[in-house]
Amino acid sequence: MRDLSTPPEGSASASAQIENETRSPLIALIGPPNSGKTTLFNRLTGLRQKVANYPGVTVEKYVGQVQCDLEQTVELVDLPGIHGFSARTLDERVTRDALEGRLEDLPAPDAVVLIVDCTRLESQLMLVEPVLKLELPTLLVLNMWDELEERGGNLDHMELAHLLGVKVVKTNARVGLGVDQVKDFLSGVEIRHRGLPPPVRVLNNVPRGVPLPMIDAFTARRRRVDKVVDRASFVQPGPAQSTERLDAVFLHRIWGPLVFLAVVVVVFQSIFTWAVPLMDGVELLITSSGEWLASRLSDGWFRSLLIDGVWAGVGSVVVFLPQILVLFLFLGILEDSGYMARAAVIADRVMYRVGLQGRAFLPLLSGYACAIPAILAARTVEDERDRLATIFITPFMTCSARLPVYALLIAAFIPDRRLLGPLMSYRAAVLLGLYGLGIMAAVVTAFLLKRTLLRAEPGSFVMDLPPYRLPSARSIGLRLLDRSKIFLKRAGRVIFAVAIVLWMLTQFPRLDTGPPPIEDSALGRIGQVIEPAIEPLGFDWRIGIGLVTSLAAREVIVGTLGTIYGVEDATDDSITLQETLRRDLTLPAAIGLLVFFAFALQCMSTVAVMRRETGGWKWPILQFSYMLFLAYSGAFIAVRLF
Amino acid sequence: MGLTGPQSMSGLPKEELGGELRLGDIPLSQTVELVRIDLPAERAEPLLERGVLPGCRICPVRSSPTGDPIISVDGSLLALRRETANCLCVRLLSDFSQESQ
Repeated sequence: MRDLSTPPEGSASASAQIENETRSPLIALIGPPNSGKTTLFNRLTGLRQKVANYPGVTVEKYVGQVQCDLEQTVELVDLPGIHGFSARTLDERVTRDALEGRLEDLPAPDAVVLIVDCTRLESQLMLVEPVLKLELPTLLVLNMWDELEERGGNLDHMELAHLLGVKVVKTNARVGLGVDQVKDFLSGVEIRHRGLPPPVRVLNNVPRGVPLPMIDAFTARRRRVDKVVDRASFVQPGPAQSTERLDAVFLHRIWGPLVFLAVVVVVFQSIFTWAVPLMDGVELLITSSGEWLASRLSDGWFRSLLIDGVWAGVGSVVVFLPQILVLFLFLGILEDSGYMARAAVIADRVMYRVGLQGRAFLPLLSGYACAIPAILAARTVEDERDRLATIFITPFMTCSARLPVYALLIAAFIPDRRLLGPLMSYRAAVLLGLYGLGIMAAVVTAFLLKRTLLRAEPGSFVMDLPPYRLPSARSIGLRLLDRSKIFLKRAGRVIFAVAIVLWMLTQFPRLDTGPPPIEDSALGRIGQVIEPAIEPLGFDWRIGIGLVTSLAAREVIVGTLGTIYGVEDATDDSITLQETLRRDLTLPAAIGLLVFFAFALQCMSTVAVMRRETGGWKWPILQFSYMLFLAYSGAFIAVRLF
Repeated sequence: MGLTGPQSMSGLPKEELGGELRLGDIPLSQTVELVRIDLPAERAEPLLERGVLPGCRICPVRSSPTGDPIISVDGSLLALRRETANCLCVRLLSDFSQESQ
């Protein structure tokens, strides 16, 4: 990594020289949401990066390398889209701090590329004035130039460059037009001499020391922008015809909500039915590769650790990769096409009643795949209290990690009988009920939160509706690759560690003949210590251990129970596991366990991401305790009800 | 705190408010000019940043299925809540041209 320490006085030139040798110039890419910023970033770097036709998708900063020519590379950082520098949202704060060089892991940029959607030039150029205050080499990218011309707009971009005193490039980032000119600018960037970080904030919506009310400062800046735009003979393009026609359907009084419901149903259907063959394939791959590996190793502790511990543990999680990818494929299409913003508008009224806003719809829908990206996506929620409330209820959405647990218990305890003719079986009804339970808990929790800890006046919901665009396979493909990498890394780290620790605890204290019977092992004893606490729920020590290990990640309980019951491979031969479960668990206790999993926050990654996103331990601890309380009391009631 | 000074708050006598138009009252496709935003600064800021500034032209282009307005400003489409729309004081453009004559 780079050395970020400030050089002492006097040695500045020497250290600047060292800097020159050790790092390449850093250029910040900024712009309003949905101006094509990330598309340009992908064009320039070829790096996987999320891009979407949904305002506010770059939720974290991404750094990529741009190869300007054979020798020279520069680093480009893609910052979250912003409308201004009020730093009202976390995104805006990240962007402002990065530009001012206040982030710990990122030096101040040497130049800025400001990209705007030139079809709505006036409001987008409001960012120019504060950015120029940074006094960095600046390139203004007029993106979506093709759209401007198609819709009958016009602009003298040379005059605009002259008036603003910056370089200007016309681009169409989607097809790569003008990208070479951007590269030309990048290749000319040199490393600035860097002293201390700026002593005062330079980026504000309203200049400091100006006694004008905020609105006057905005209006004054707008007047200057209008003057520049007029002199550069800007002709506003006409409305986008295709977008108007599509909105007539998607935002229609009757068709709109119907399409919305259809979209939600298709997304769910895709997770539960279309992903299954893929998951079966991955499972087959894991078990057969495990068997192949086992046949190659001599019988001993190492084989046991590798196959029973690591392969089974990590494998039981990797199985969910197809499901998560299918969900993200759909979310990606919805976002890139521009539909997601419409969905947020339709959902807003319902969210508003609960105390949230329409922007919470995307995080909550993503929560059905995994709470972690969902919590990150909540950064687009403008109001801080709304964002916290959204984050708080996200783990109640039935994430895909709960599915293997639900699937195992439902298959073991719920008879496969028809409930509503051919439409629905008992099993499907129970699964649906568990999803409903999560939604109910989320609604009630949001309602309570917004009336207690996060009480606030209803905010002013403003949602940008981007024009509809055809999603590109390239951008969605890159994003899915990115998702897979993140997911596998997580499975690799957390589950791998848990699997190893768990396996070791079953091996000690060792008897002369080998590993102890499971109830005498260290793991068994831990379980017996927990037992009194969970006895009221009808769970025995085996389930207790499962609950403890599933603190790392929910799906771990399946593998754990497999290990405890001495079943060689829990996922491969789940009939045996089901039978043993039926022997040790009553039906009410099984339902109690299902309810417990619907509510409890058994996911360390979620807790970790919560801490990062809320900036402390207060919210994750509160959330964990609250969800544990709900889980325990819910299971307690369920056991007595059934 | 009002954005255009104390007289913009609802402390005004009723009769003076009577003739005022709110964005929420404007029929679709009728372009109007924004006069004032009756929202505290913090809540008005997202609007200001997106070009909803006094003096700008706003056209309600559509009504969402939930009855909330979708407006066109500076070539962008924005969705608002009707509660927000009712905090935006507007005037018809014909009034404006009469005044300037």
